[in-house]
Amino acid sequence: MKDKLTPKNIIFGLVVCFLPLLMFGIDGIVAFLSQYGIYLGWPGGEYMLRIIVRASVYMMLAVGLNIVCGFTGLLDLGYVCFYLIGGYTAGILMARLGVSYWVALPLAVLHGTVWGLLRGAPTLRLTGDYFAIVTFGFAELFFRIIRNEQWLVGAPNGQLRGIPSPTLFGITFNQNWHNYYHILILLTLVVFITYRLQHSRVGRAWVAIREDEQAAESMGINVSRYKSLAFAVSAAIGALGGAFIAQFQVSISVPFFDFWESILILCMVVLGGMGSIRGAMIGAAILGCLGEVLRPGFIIPYQFGNARYLIFGIILILLMRFRPGGLSLKKA
Amino acid sequence: MAQLLEQFINGLVLGGIYALIAVGYTMVYGIIQLINFAHGEIFMFGAYLALMLIAVFNIPFWIAVPASMLLCAMLGMLIDLVAYRPLRDAPRLSALITAIGISLVLQNLARMIWSARPRQFPTETLPAFLVSEVNIQTGEILNAIPLPGGGILPYRDVCILLLAVVLMIALNRLIHLTKIGKAMRACAQNRVASNLMGIKTNQVIAVTFAIGSALGAVAGIMVGLSENITPTMGYYKGVAAFAAAVLGGIGNITGAMLGGIIIGLAEVLGAGYISSGYRLAIAYIIMIAVIVIRPSGLFGKSTANRA
Repeated sequence: MKDKLTPKNIIFGLVVCFLPLLMFGIDGIVAFLSQYGIYLGWPGGEYMLRIIVRASVYMMLAVGLNIVCGFTGLLDLGYVCFYLIGGYTAGILMARLGVSYWVALPLAVLHGTVWGLLRGAPTLRLTGDYFAIVTFGFAELFFRIIRNEQWLVGAPNGQLRGIPSPTLFGITFNQNWHNYYHILILLTLVVFITYRLQHSRVGRAWVAIREDEQAAESMGINVSRYKSLAFAVSAAIGALGGAFIAQFQVSISVPFFDFWESILILCMVVLGGMGSIRGAMIGAAILGCLGEVLRPGFIIPYQFGNARYLIFGIILILLMRFRPGGLSLKKA
Repeated sequence: MAQLLEQFINGLVLGGIYALIAVGYTMVYGIIQLINFAHGEIFMFGAYLALMLIAVFNIPFWIAVPASMLLCAMLGMLIDLVAYRPLRDAPRLSALITAIGISLVLQNLARMIWSARPRQFPTETLPAFLVSEVNIQTGEILNAIPLPGGGILPYRDVCILLLAVVLMIALNRLIHLTKIGKAMRACAQNRVASNLMGIKTNQVIAVTFAIGSALGAVAGIMVGLSENITPTMGYYKGVAAFAAAVLGGIGNITGAMLGGIIIGLAEVLGAGYISSGYRLAIAYIIMIAVIVIRPSGLFGKSTANRA
């Protein structure tokens, strides 16, 4: 995030900007070679683009979780509940009430923020394990409400289908490359805001709270206010990711937002190194793509089921044992 | 009224099982201040190991139960040795995240070994009196006590409750009367000081893990007698049992026992009279309420913020 125009940064920026073209190029090469009977066994560009979009959503969530886990140092085991709130708020508004995406998105973010503050209020005094447990319980409650309250979603098990794609000026944004630029803009926005917050008075206050809450308080930092702000911003980012994924997936259901999803996002933040935006994004990119590759039926045989979670578990254990600071070079 | 009596007894039985699991959480927390997320998974392994010993190796039920306890005790000690001991002096969050990692690994390992298919103990391998049934034609009740109002109380449930009580009393005596119990209490008070007094704290912690895991294995087999054994049972029952430990005041063994009974009753009665879809949610709500309102739990000393 040093704003320097080194050749490396320029190339990286160009690749990010024109990634869909690259993917279409891959599709073109695959199609061209298959005419001559050569099959490289590459996955299609469209498929890879979908994985990249999904990984980008995880990047966004990891950045959001990093605010609470990394900056203020509180372990949030229920981050997925804001993802769920955002997803279902946007989904229900769009699919069942016919609200436009451009209205549903801010409403979903607002709804997530409200719940972030509501969840934060009773937990302000808690630290460590107790905070983790309350966040976990909170997420499980939301999970169960969506699963049980059929009048809310209109179908059992939180099955929400037919979420329309956003439209603007008569164009429907339903192509993968539409979604790619869509998430790119949102992610850039999120990273920019988080980065600016981190390097402001607010960010320093968060880190001060993480290092020593009592000392921070005695230095005149309003701990409750800054913690609430962290919860609100983090929840808003989660809800934003949820609202995006709702229209991207077209249909969402409850298992998509279970406890292990929270752990997966946590795993990303830990992998990248808690407290670093870049680390969270790198962790999310690695695990987001790895998670897709390790889905049953691709490399791992079907009968092993979700063996990828086994691998995530091993990653968590090994990281905590040998590199608690994550992959980043800084030692914790 | 008859239904209420039956629900009440079911709640007590479930509560006894929760109490056995909760003790494992609370003992470990008392000594090393770690929420051992993997404890629920050890409980699940207890059920699966007993099932495997019985169904695959044709070992009689009476030997399979202690064998499974022993294996789980070893598993618990192994986890402590490999994962937690290197992190004793690391930040608390590192150990907690490791515990979650272990939980992920064990749960998915179980899914890979035994598949996600729900399993039961084969009826013919169980001792006869644990299998109760009602002959519909003759109305004859086998291996169960008829309750007023038409319900039955299977011998199985009586055995579970009795065994839970016996184990609880044994644990209580162990902690208060034996040398290792004294060492455990000393470690819970102050680990560094006990180390200085010549107590081998690492051994004491290993024993704590072993006892907790063995009790968890018994609880797993008890659940397996009446419900399906699945790889996720450790997660669901584990969280409810953890809620029980929190309710009783985490670190407090008597509290965990009573908390288990309360959570079990609340869960069964809540599922029966409020909504079965929110069965587990009741445990979560109790847990959150206790942490927010009275973090030291119902029976804990109201020390300042423990975390």
